Amino acid sequence: MGAVWDTIIFKPVLNILIVLCSVLFSNFGLTIIALTIIIRGCMYPLTIRQLRSTKAMESLQPKLTELRQKYAKDKQKLAQEQMRMYKESGVSPIGCLVPMLIQMPIWIALYQSIMMALAVAPEGLLKLSSYLYSWPVVYSMLPLDSQFLWLNLAVRDGLLILPILVGITMWVQQKMVAPANPDPKQQSMSGMMLWMMPLLFTFLSLQFPSGLALYWVTSNIISIVIQYFVTGWGGLLKSAAGKPTGRDKSYKKRIAQVEAGSSEYADVGADIVEPSSTQGEGLDNGESRDERQDRGRGYPESLRGIRRQSRRSKSHRPKRR
Amino acid sequence: MRVKNNKIKLSKILLLTVMFLVVTVGLATSGCMGGLQPVGWSGGVVADETLFLGSMEGRLVVVSVADGTRQWSEPITTTSSGGFGCAASSAAVPIYGTLVVAGDLVYISGYNGKIYAFDSTSLQKRWVYPAEGNLQTIVGGAVVALDKVYFGCSDGKVYALRADTGVEAWEPFQTGDKIWSTPVIDGEAVYISSFDKKVYALDAATGEKKWESPEAGGVIASPPFVYNDTVYFGSFDRYLYAVDATDGQLKWKSEVEAGNWFWAKPVVYNNTVYAPCLDGKVYILDAESGHELIDAIDLGSSVSSSPVLVDDSIIIVSEEGKVYSIKDNQKKELKDLETKVYSPLCASNGVVYVHTQEDEALYALNAQTGAEVWQVSLASE
Repeated sequence: MGAVWDTIIFKPVLNILIVLCSVLFSNFGLTIIALTIIIRGCMYPLTIRQLRSTKAMESLQPKLTELRQKYAKDKQKLAQEQMRMYKESGVSPIGCLVPMLIQMPIWIALYQSIMMALAVAPEGLLKLSSYLYSWPVVYSMLPLDSQFLWLNLAVRDGLLILPILVGITMWVQQKMVAPANPDPKQQSMSGMMLWMMPLLFTFLSLQFPSGLALYWVTSNIISIVIQYFVTGWGGLLKSAAGKPTGRDKSYKKRIAQVEAGSSEYADVGADIVEPSSTQGEGLDNGESRDERQDRGRGYPESLRGIRRQSRRSKSHRPKRR
Repeated sequence: MRVKNNKIKLSKILLLTVMFLVVTVGLATSGCMGGLQPVGWSGGVVADETLFLGSMEGRLVVVSVADGTRQWSEPITTTSSGGFGCAASSAAVPIYGTLVVAGDLVYISGYNGKIYAFDSTSLQKRWVYPAEGNLQTIVGGAVVALDKVYFGCSDGKVYALRADTGVEAWEPFQTGDKIWSTPVIDGEAVYISSFDKKVYALDAATGEKKWESPEAGGVIASPPFVYNDTVYFGSFDRYLYAVDATDGQLKWKSEVEAGNWFWAKPVVYNNTVYAPCLDGKVYILDAESGHELIDAIDLGSSVSSSPVLVDDSIIIVSEEGKVYSIKDNQKKELKDLETKVYSPLCASNGVVYVHTQEDEALYALNAQTGAEVWQVSLASE
């Protein structure tokens, strides 16, 4: 198993890392950032699929809660109804897990490669020699220079800047994906997760070489960017959405115009939130935006078709609010 | 309701446990938690029927070559900060360099960036350099000549200390990168290789640079070998080089490109260069021209341990613990120790001593037949 892992995943990632370092002026810090971006770029379709599945699952949460309450005493029936609902809505409960599981080996290989390429101790450098391809550039590049900005990538960041950045970026990313769940118990669990993961990774960053922390920060920032283009700021802005922004106001104006039947704005219907949910000043009424958009019940009948059509043609466009 | 709350609590605990396991297993399987930590692989040296070497417990071990009886010094330790939330702890200092004995002192280079001089009889410390603080890591060993101790350090400097007191004999000489190799003394010159891809020749008395070799294609981690006014060394670019010992001019670069780095020190004997490589082969070249005399001899696994010359045979051990003798360009397997070996070999009076890595032990083997003379564990308890 170890040999298969090394041959198929670990060695390619490690050797590409070293070659990339030779291209990027022998700067290992830049190399970590670049390789993280490249690998996350290759994983983009899977990441998008995972995010969409997660989002779809979130939209089903209210119905799931209803079902749980309705069939609290009949587990078999509950399971049947849940499966029926998943089938009807075209959502797979493991849809968000499969892409993540596929990505896991690559993340681990990238992490392994960073640790191995640093090869601080003689044992590490000696071991590294057995994982190299017979490319001249690979042999002559090693050992890599571990200095980057104020960091020695082979040891932990004594200034604590990188561990703090790991915590902050992970918190932001977690907050963006945090589901707005009507179930207070589930909400409490996701609230705990929101803090647990950043704290755990901050702690790990304090223990491990800063090269690894640099990888985590880069990876988190990429996740934030991807997340933004898929779901917007998500839960990050919801908690601070008491006051309407200028953007919110302009959308309300446009919604009012759509409601008034202005054909000029028909095309933007796909991205406009449900009018009924924006009657108050704040956008946060305890219901996720995605839910509101997906139902589309508040639109005049004439606009629903346009909305569906527009959604099909612009499914990858960032959400505007 | 109570049952429901318990279920939620249980699911929280499960979720956290799974998260913790995923992170821990991910990190553990990646090899960062073990296997890459420095433990050392000190070579031995024989003086007055006694073998001195550094153990992985950070101790000076003295072994009688007659029967293998052992004595240990107190361990050399260093204090590590312990990291966030952990208390500082004391850890054994890894020792990579081969020990050196001169007069009544034994010199040890510690990976913690210190040089120690121990009394060879009482095994008590005489002096430590630097007395306060630490240099960067020291991977190579020290050599003693002209009443001085010479060594290279990961800070890229070559140091010379007075052998009796440990006081600096001359201003350290700065090379362009780390030094992991042991210096070589020949006549009045110190030869040392550096990660800056060059070999330097310094005046042993003053530390002044005599010359520096042309840059090789890769890092030079192994010590050079000086023979007939020529300095031989292997590089990470997978080539062997020979430079003139008087002016550092390149004599030749091997035509053959090896399959991996040259890590171990080459041996030159009878006008022939024997260079073991991490690709598991021993390259045999003409010392004058660098031409390959015969096809490289395949030993089956990497060789990182420096070989030793015993009579007219080159004794080599592979990482997998197979001990070979090469004589008249023919290999002969002497012994399979079935354990990892990284330490340089040491020989005296027709016996070769092998310091093994796993279950740290010392083997004494007859260099002609491979018969085991004795075997002892180096663990102090």
